[in-house]
Amino acid sequence: MRVTNQMVFEASRQQIAASREQVFNASQQVTTGERVVHPGDDPGAAGAIIAHSLSVQRFDTIGKAVSAASDEAQLADGALQSASELMTRAQQLAVQMGNDSYSASDRAGAAQEIRDISGQLAALMNTQEAGRYIFGGNADRTPPFDSAGNYSGDTSIRQVEVAPGLLQNASIRADVALKGVGGGVDVFASLASLATSLSSNDGVGVRASVATMSSSVDQISTALTQNGGILDGFQSAMSIGTNSKDAASKLLSAVQDADIFDATSNLTKAQQGLEASLLVASKSFNLSLMDYLK
Amino acid sequence: MADLLALLVQSGNSLGVHSAAVATAGNNVANANTPGYSRQIANLVSNPATMVMGNNAVGTGVGLQSITQARDQFIERQIPNALGAQAASESESSSLQSISALDADLAGGLTSTLGAFYSSMRALAQNPGDAALRQAAVGSSDQLARSFNDTVSSIDLARTGIDAEIQGDVSTINAAASQLSDLNKQIQQSKSASGQPNDLLDKRQNAVDTLARLTGGTPYTNGNGDISLALPGGIALVTDSGAGHLSTVVDAANNGHLSLQLTRADGSGPVALPVTAIGGEVGGYLAARDGAMKTAITSLDQFAFGLATSLNTVHAAGYAPDGTTGRSLFTIPATATGAASQMTVNPSILADPRLLAAATTLPATTGDNRNILAMIATESHPLASGSDPISSLQLIVTGFGNSAEQAKAMADHNGAIATHLTQLRDSTSGVSIDEEMINLTKAQKAYEAVAKVISTANEMLDTLMTLKTP
Repeated sequence: MRVTNQMVFEASRQQIAASREQVFNASQQVTTGERVVHPGDDPGAAGAIIAHSLSVQRFDTIGKAVSAASDEAQLADGALQSASELMTRAQQLAVQMGNDSYSASDRAGAAQEIRDISGQLAALMNTQEAGRYIFGGNADRTPPFDSAGNYSGDTSIRQVEVAPGLLQNASIRADVALKGVGGGVDVFASLASLATSLSSNDGVGVRASVATMSSSVDQISTALTQNGGILDGFQSAMSIGTNSKDAASKLLSAVQDADIFDATSNLTKAQQGLEASLLVASKSFNLSLMDYLK
Repeated sequence: MADLLALLVQSGNSLGVHSAAVATAGNNVANANTPGYSRQIANLVSNPATMVMGNNAVGTGVGLQSITQARDQFIERQIPNALGAQAASESESSSLQSISALDADLAGGLTSTLGAFYSSMRALAQNPGDAALRQAAVGSSDQLARSFNDTVSSIDLARTGIDAEIQGDVSTINAAASQLSDLNKQIQQSKSASGQPNDLLDKRQNAVDTLARLTGGTPYTNGNGDISLALPGGIALVTDSGAGHLSTVVDAANNGHLSLQLTRADGSGPVALPVTAIGGEVGGYLAARDGAMKTAITSLDQFAFGLATSLNTVHAAGYAPDGTTGRSLFTIPATATGAASQMTVNPSILADPRLLAAATTLPATTGDNRNILAMIATESHPLASGSDPISSLQLIVTGFGNSAEQAKAMADHNGAIATHLTQLRDSTSGVSIDEEMINLTKAQKAYEAVAKVISTANEMLDTLMTLKTP
């Protein structure tokens, strides 16, 4: 083939341009750590990046929501534990003061303690988290219990998304646990009744309250168990969510991230290619008959 | 004596011929880097012999038969199509590569804003009565709508940029078409007057290359050597009688982008030029503008319309804390056309995030998150297109990426073919400085030798002139 000067210069120009492009692309992969930037680089991977990055984000957000709901359930658990202890004390007082050996004065003192327990119970049931009254159902902006134990919350059970599209109950019904809605015992009314019997030194009334105190303790224990189930559900959801997020992150990394060893190796190869192109160009340009003609 | 004088005359002529050979080599060297220049060859021929001293034929020196161009018609006929295909795929590829709005991990792009929207809804579901979370959810809804606006706007701006490129190309095409027609006439005149007009032929080849590169047109040589040019599909741009003229016109049916029309060489028209009748760089631009880019915008419109409709349906069924219902979250047009560019958050919700309908029943208690959960569920529900929101976005990006990848592959492929053919043309028609140096030296040596002949003849004449009679 006859080689002209234009061919030599044009071929050198193209080879150097191509080598520089390869060095640029390889450098970008090394510096950004990303294999795919423009959808045209790898259309399938670009689509997969969208799906996987949204999956990572979704599991991350669900994890945060479940964690927040779990914090609430922990608070509820603490409050119900305390309520259970208070009611156990009330039950003890009922059993103890049912004995007619106690004087009216003793029973009056016990009545005050029962009223205190009722007040503390109402305060516990008005526990707040992030501005929400966690025992008020969906009516969560006002205290669900007044000092007399009257309930102003609603009957809703909150639900939280624990996995994409999967909802789990996140709260118990305080009206059921404390007010006996649905056939249970009204704990506050029972306490008030006990306090009244104690104040009036009514031994029969006090002994009659023992059974309702026992039912109240059981009712709160049931709520505790339900809440424990919710907590377990959250723990398992967080664990699964973390695994799912990690799996999605790995998939995202597999399609998006450049293999640093490959990228570095490609960069070195591209740099050597560029050096070779430059060397060939400089040698080609220097070879001319004019240098030898006198 | 007479022969010696004839030798002097013939040697003088030979000097002129070798001077022409030197000039030809010099011209080649000077034009070594001139685009489209075909190297020229001084064709020497020996002059007819004359009979002297009986029947002995003695040559009468050298003549310059012609100065021709080194050209390979076989290669040159393949080059216009190769240039057109290369330019078409390159302009399409570079146009598509310039779009970054659909990059999967673009900050503020649709992937991140769509994810942020559902994230903010999930955060709100945990505490729907919280004013800050409501504000954040409305803010991320606004960001999602703006992201649709910006993505479409960015692609449409690229389409407008292509219009500007097309306008520039149309001016160049008209100038080259007119030049080709003029050169056809000049070459005819020059041929009839003084033989091979090499420089005009080079200029004409340049004009043909330009037209082929910009329009994808094919040149045809007619019987008298004129070159006509037909656009893809056979519509003539340059004929024996003259050059046609391209112009642009605003196409209201294509969002105000430019379309092409042709005024024929005979002055008739203008007629609308279908996109199939133009290739080359302009065709590539049109393919990118009205192909992958337009498809991406249409798909984004359908996606925005489907997503907003899906979310609006759920939102409108819910209740704001003040008990109001029936509100759309997003404002969109009645049909998908323009939905992505016009999508906004309902102004009343934007102004008052308390109007976000989180509850599903009345009374709308502050902790009721069920409508927010229903909105989150739309993330996995098929839109009108049959795909869920994430798959819809994936399909748009993958589809656009496929077009960009194919255009890049075609650009590489066609570029390699055009480069190969151009190299072959250069191999035949290009100037080699080394070769010209040899030609120059060869002509110089011949010139010196002829000068020596003149000197010898002169000495012989002197000898004759100084002879004395005995």
